[in-house]
Amino acid sequence: MTRQLACLFLLVAGVALACTEKVTAPGVCPNFCPGDSIAIRDTIFTTIIQRDSSFRGYVPSYAAEAMTAADVPGVLDSRAFFTTDTMIRRVAPKSGDTTTVPITVDSSRVRFVIVHRPKNTTNLRLRLYQLPITADSTSTFASLDPSFTATPVDSLNVNALLALPAIADTHTVRLWDSLWGVQSSDSIRVSSAGHVLQINHLDSTLVVYFKLDTLQAPFIPADSGRRAWGVRVAADSFASVVLGSTESGGNGPLMRRFFHYTIPDTVSATPDSVVHTDRFVGTRFDNFVFTPPTPPLDSNLAVGGVPSARALLRVAMPAYLHDSIDVVRATLILVPVSAVPGVPSDSFRVLARPVLTDLGAKSPLSTSPLLNGSTFIHIGSPDTVHVEITNLVRAWSLDTTMATAFILGQVPEATSYAEIRFYSSRAPAFRPGLRVTYVKRFRFGGP
Amino acid sequence: MTVGRSDGRTAVVIAVLTLLPAVWPSGRLAAQDSQFGIRGLGTPGKWESVRARTTGGAFAPFDAFSPLTDAVLADVRRMSASVTSGASWRTVDAGGAQSSLRATRFPAMVITGPLTSRIVVGGGFTTYLDRSFGVIVHDTINLRGVPQPITDEITSDGAVSDLRIAVAARVHSRLAVGLGLHRMTGSSRVIAKRSFADTANYRTSTARDEVAYGGTGGSASLLFDVTSDIRVAGWFRTDSKLHADVGGRRVAENALPRTFGAGVQWRAGAQATLAGNVMWRNWGAVQSIANAHDTFNWSLGAEIGSPSSPFRFGLRGGQMPFGVGKTPTEVGYSAGLGRQFSGGRGRLDIGLERLQRSGSGLNERVWTVLLGLTVRP
Repeated sequence: MTRQLACLFLLVAGVALACTEKVTAPGVCPNFCPGDSIAIRDTIFTTIIQRDSSFRGYVPSYAAEAMTAADVPGVLDSRAFFTTDTMIRRVAPKSGDTTTVPITVDSSRVRFVIVHRPKNTTNLRLRLYQLPITADSTSTFASLDPSFTATPVDSLNVNALLALPAIADTHTVRLWDSLWGVQSSDSIRVSSAGHVLQINHLDSTLVVYFKLDTLQAPFIPADSGRRAWGVRVAADSFASVVLGSTESGGNGPLMRRFFHYTIPDTVSATPDSVVHTDRFVGTRFDNFVFTPPTPPLDSNLAVGGVPSARALLRVAMPAYLHDSIDVVRATLILVPVSAVPGVPSDSFRVLARPVLTDLGAKSPLSTSPLLNGSTFIHIGSPDTVHVEITNLVRAWSLDTTMATAFILGQVPEATSYAEIRFYSSRAPAFRPGLRVTYVKRFRFGGP
Repeated sequence: MTVGRSDGRTAVVIAVLTLLPAVWPSGRLAAQDSQFGIRGLGTPGKWESVRARTTGGAFAPFDAFSPLTDAVLADVRRMSASVTSGASWRTVDAGGAQSSLRATRFPAMVITGPLTSRIVVGGGFTTYLDRSFGVIVHDTINLRGVPQPITDEITSDGAVSDLRIAVAARVHSRLAVGLGLHRMTGSSRVIAKRSFADTANYRTSTARDEVAYGGTGGSASLLFDVTSDIRVAGWFRTDSKLHADVGGRRVAENALPRTFGAGVQWRAGAQATLAGNVMWRNWGAVQSIANAHDTFNWSLGAEIGSPSSPFRFGLRGGQMPFGVGKTPTEVGYSAGLGRQFSGGRGRLDIGLERLQRSGSGLNERVWTVLLGLTVRP
């Protein structure tokens, strides 16, 4: 009996072990496949985009996270600048002293972080100009032009600095990092003129330092030590750099004053002691100006520029896109009015973000990055722009309560002169369209 | 004491095996899958217990635990139950491309018992049509002017089950008749998925649904003992249309075939029994399917040895209802053993079956290990 039970258990175990299913085989169609097949359609909806508009004024240039300095003769000229805060004129020589002594400025350094530059250009130079300390958000290209066309205070050749031997010893690198709050530079290059270049190994940004003497950067007590600096860029071709601004966090322009003061010895006959030290001068304001200025809005869809413009596009989803189909790809088709002029390296990203609710220009945007679609706009290219918004259209297809509208904006906004204009739905021949590839619902239940 | 302990263990095993099909997912309550059923209503199930199946199906009309006929229930003298299970390994050869598949099924269960000395009632389920399959198709289509490699996967997991309530009566010492009412029910979970090689631009499309099937039928059969050793059987069955509903909406209605069959069994002494039968079904009546064929099936089998531990073998042949071009054919060989235990209160049947199916452009070879348990509490 025990043996019989063992056999029985073995059989049961055998059947249980065999309970692994594999019923899928390569199909031999159509003879040995289901009667229906997965059918796919590709349709361009030419009139699906409706009631589209552009609005300007979302981000001004002085609130942007970067500043563009570019110079393309006959096309555009963009110049960055910043002003510093006041600087102390006297210091207490010892802790607890109530008396102060005057400082004497010896030299200064001005720092810029190049977050973006053309890699194929040669002889890329930054020219530093002294600007009136009154420069602010009301300053225009024209009002600052006299200062920018004067003799530059200093000039720095980025390519020449990059070509210099790198100083990579850990001590020096860490010293500069700690002095200037730069993170993770991997090497330093120093020119004979005292210009310094650091390379951030995390994001390949370049940090450049101008070294200025007291003639180049005088300390003027009447101005409370404030200074204003402007930057123009030059190169053999494609002269353009994007500089970090204060809004970007640690990539903003900086100025550091190196000075000394004397501690008078009032007790003994020993000589007075001299203290050498330095101090950051806070950045009060940074901005960039350019010409030609951004043209006013028209009947087309403007995206980018300064202050930034966004386009709101509303989509009239046909009923059958809501059910009976499964969207596998959706592409927004936009026809540019003209190519964006400028330097190729200033190509920018356009992001399509859904609105949570349609309130026109002030529609709140969705915070879900999964639904966004984006593409890059290439400078000088008049080609039709395609933006993949598959996830967004799939979401609309599944959720009929969602607002079927989205906003096109530049990323990051207001950081450069670049603006693209697309034909709107008011231009019937070139209006925006939506190309949808979808799978028709499979007909289950039939043989 | 030893006998008593063994009986206790046996009872536990019986209980486990009896409960197993009850708790098993419904998709497994199916019979034998086949690629020939994909383009039709499905693959017809085999209404046979393990005992009958190991005789090539020849003993089915004479076996009370095969849900083929109702009249044979009149032979049951005690409350009894039987369950059939099988694990299959299938090789599909389509134009030289081979694939190996496997599945485990519980294709039949019968519970029956006498109501009076002359009337026996019974019931259970079996697979009417198996709807479990999966096909993968790799192709390249032109999308937006670019050749795009795609993969389509269409799977169906389920079956049309046949729930039966039958009554059999011995109207004469030599004649038993039976009637059965059938309710076809079941569902299949279906998935159609298309995926693209270009996953950066194209999302996978997946459609899922559940198809519910329904229908009714009736059967009648008789069993006549020509002599004490020779017995003949005849049966007939007709069904309503089989309807398929998706989400409560009727998507298809298909006619089902009438079934006619006859069989003969010869008891050649105390330790040998031979049987054979033929069955015809007019699947061609399924108008909605262009390549449906009427089928004729036959089987021969024998059971040799002591009734408590017989050896069985059989041969079957015939046609399958769905296939492009000529009617697909099926040939099968089977053999198995039976063993009674607990003083005849239980019986364990095991078997091995080999099937070969061939049609235009496709051949299938199937090995099936069968396990059946019958208990008479």
